[in-house]
Amino acid sequence: MRNVSALVFASGLAFLLLVITWQFVVGGAPMLIGEAILQQGADKIGSANLVTSVVLGYRGIDTLGEIAILFTASTATSLVLSSLSAKTSSSKKVVIRDDGTILASSASLFFPLLITLGMYIILHGHLTPGGGFQGGVILAAAFFLPLLAVPGRGVNHSGLALVEGFAGASFIIIGIIALFQGNAFLQPFFGHGEMGSLVSAGTLPLLYTAVGLKVGAELSGLLANLAEIGEIVPESTDLQASSMQTESNGS
Amino acid sequence: MTTDLIHWLLYGGAMGLIVIGIVGVVTLNNIFRIVLALAIAEAGANLLLVIAGYRFDAIAPILTGSSANQLMVDPVPQAMVLTSIVIGVGIQALALALVVKVYQNYKTLDIGEIHQQLSTDIDNSSGVISLLSSEQPAGERPLPEPSAQHETAQLNQGGDK
Amino acid sequence: MNNIAFTVALPLLAAFLLPIISNSSKSAARFIGPFVLLAMLGFSLAYFNMLEHPVAIALGGFRPPLGITFHLDNLSLLMASIIPLIMLVLWPYANIEGYREESLLLLLAGSASGLALSGDLFNIYVFYELLSVASFGLAAANRTGAAFAATFRYLVMSGLGTVLALTGIGLIYTQTGTLNLAHIGLLASQLNNPAGLSAFALIVIGIGVKAEIFPVNGWVPEVYSTASPRISALLAGLISKLAVLVIVRLLVVAYQGPEALTLLLVLGMLGIIWGELSAWRSKDLKRMLSFSSIGQLGMVLVAFSIPGEAGMVAGIAMMLHHLVVKPGLFMLTEHWNGSLNKLAGAAKSSPLAAVLFMLFALSLIGVPPFPGFWAKLLLVTGLVEANTPLYLTALAVLLSATVIEAHYLMHTAIRMYSKGKKKQVKKLHQTPFTLTIISVFAVVLITALITMAPLGNKLQHIAAESSDRALYINTTFAARHTPVRKQISLIKQQSKVQ
Repeated sequence: MRNVSALVFASGLAFLLLVITWQFVVGGAPMLIGEAILQQGADKIGSANLVTSVVLGYRGIDTLGEIAILFTASTATSLVLSSLSAKTSSSKKVVIRDDGTILASSASLFFPLLITLGMYIILHGHLTPGGGFQGGVILAAAFFLPLLAVPGRGVNHSGLALVEGFAGASFIIIGIIALFQGNAFLQPFFGHGEMGSLVSAGTLPLLYTAVGLKVGAELSGLLANLAEIGEIVPESTDLQASSMQTESNGS
Repeated sequence: MTTDLIHWLLYGGAMGLIVIGIVGVVTLNNIFRIVLALAIAEAGANLLLVIAGYRFDAIAPILTGSSANQLMVDPVPQAMVLTSIVIGVGIQALALALVVKVYQNYKTLDIGEIHQQLSTDIDNSSGVISLLSSEQPAGERPLPEPSAQHETAQLNQGGDK
Repeated sequence: MNNIAFTVALPLLAAFLLPIISNSSKSAARFIGPFVLLAMLGFSLAYFNMLEHPVAIALGGFRPPLGITFHLDNLSLLMASIIPLIMLVLWPYANIEGYREESLLLLLAGSASGLALSGDLFNIYVFYELLSVASFGLAAANRTGAAFAATFRYLVMSGLGTVLALTGIGLIYTQTGTLNLAHIGLLASQLNNPAGLSAFALIVIGIGVKAEIFPVNGWVPEVYSTASPRISALLAGLISKLAVLVIVRLLVVAYQGPEALTLLLVLGMLGIIWGELSAWRSKDLKRMLSFSSIGQLGMVLVAFSIPGEAGMVAGIAMMLHHLVVKPGLFMLTEHWNGSLNKLAGAAKSSPLAAVLFMLFALSLIGVPPFPGFWAKLLLVTGLVEANTPLYLTALAVLLSATVIEAHYLMHTAIRMYSKGKKKQVKKLHQTPFTLTIISVFAVVLITALITMAPLGNKLQHIAAESSDRALYINTTFAARHTPVRKQISLIKQQSKVQ
């Protein structure tokens, strides 16, 4: 019954969406604000990468909301998972498994490279494709790689919390400083500089650094949290069995 | 003709992903697959946004020396997609954490069974006796004895605290 | 200096810093939440008092429609002041477990005020998502198996809604090329086609997950019966109204055609029927209240679907009424969480709580002279004046729903006043702390009852202002980065010229 009504709903939606699709022309959408930003974005903000101008300038508060969502998700995840770690950590000791020298040493080999690459991408976010989010994800990967190579290795959660908190706070504080200077909240200041150079586009590189550190710390925390349960979940064969059973029920 | 085909493929692809994802969410039984289906639907919506800013023969909206008078694609949808991807990541991580916790508590990944146990739990915690409840399980599976049920519910709750 | 952006920035800042602060001093961390909420209240009330004419604030200093604007009018500032108020009342002062829950509550507050103020479609989406994720965390904060399962179902439904809403926003962007609500309003004629209308439908269904709109409200009874009563009160009372507010803004600014109104009307009617019938059948107080809240939000939706100012007045009145009554009722379930049968003797164990329940119930049903009656009266007159077969059907649905509502609520009340077994009656005792919280809502309700006449005038004024599409558009485009006082005088000059 549930499936029938769900399928009716889904097919109705599919029909609706595909009918709408028929009318559209790719590349034919009116780009009212897009065009305006392309024209004046460079003069107004001074960032060579116009997507960065939009992300941190025109739609800066969206980005604030976005890092807040990541923060919320990681807070909620640790809230959800915390009951478990409190209960099981005493009874079930997490075993540090060594999956081989090659894995472990290449993970530590990659670590500095990934950190450098991540920071490079974050700092050049206003010049080249990339930025805080992309670089932040690479930073998170750098911290997560050793965890994958040597499962069970702990993560310094309080250090992550510190980075996370201060990076997020500095994003908002930069916004508030603009407010105290008599401008609007999150208005870029510090002048434009010479377009294309590393120190340009006012506060945008600072904001992106904050975003990058925040995203990196947030994602590392999230992944570490999820990885820690991965070690504790019992009866992994049982998990497979039940999913197989589910399949047979479904068919 | 070919451009028409491309148009249709691009938009149809985005819409198709959305529809596949939604059909997955409403028909699949395994909660882990539901999370994956949700991710597919999100990818479709993101693709739709990116296509909205597309122009033929245009370059990425980054000003370099050589790009002075070239046509550029719309930067706004790109910023929007960046945002919505990050939002999606956050939600999926939370969803996976919940999947783990649900599995640990209910020992099943089947959404139907989870729903069943959930309503029994709610009934028990409020003291409504399930046998009188209108939400009896449809089908052959007999209900366990009310007293036994009560015990398991208390066990479940006690174990979580 | 006094800038409304603080109402969003401050709670987020506090939430980001809370983990660090609570590491060094747990007691300091406890004070931060209420303190930030008070500051938010101060900022929004200061603007509320100053406001003579709606203004728009360009965030980041970029002129609309390029940048994001916050739209400040009576309705949005009213909601922005209610958010910290209601959160202060429902704040878990005594039994806050850790900084995480406090963080999530602050994030909820910040995103809620962002949602109330924002005038940009994608920005609304971002704040809506922030609100969702924070509410998932809070719904699961009980950490029982049932809470996890209920939250998971809530998350999946919400995630589906997200995808639909995002698709809707994408469609609007392909049609108009803009995201600013006022700009979309200017280009509304481009949305009067299948793509534009289905974009509206998609956004309504998507955002409607929080607004408990008919096809996407399966999560409501489960989450409200597994989460703690405070969280249920917040979600049912406050968060659902903010989601409705978004739909109303979109409706007023961009979709004034009959199709959009009909969609809302039909969804609202289905919500009323489904909600009230399920509430009638339910056997425990929490689920009864959850379903009744679905029914009430259906009524709110029906009210907003009446064209023009009449609908706006009725809608806002219904919304505010439900916002006061439902949290009060949900707080009662903190100790009265059993089945309805077990409530026998509750009146003897805590008479004040029973009286308060009667008060809320009578107002919810719409017995004169309680505020709920006036709200429903506005709705009924609106429906009669609209006078088309569909609206008259809605009227019939509404009236029969009221009968059902009266039956189940009074049935419960009678149970409370009947004799119960001694052992059970003892369990039904409400603590003084909970009673204080509930009384706050009751006092607000009674104050509203006493000041009905001025309140009605104020409501009319708010409704006239927020149903004025041209005003919204003009306000937004007048937004510059100038201090608000100057802006107001500027707008006055402009309106004189016109």
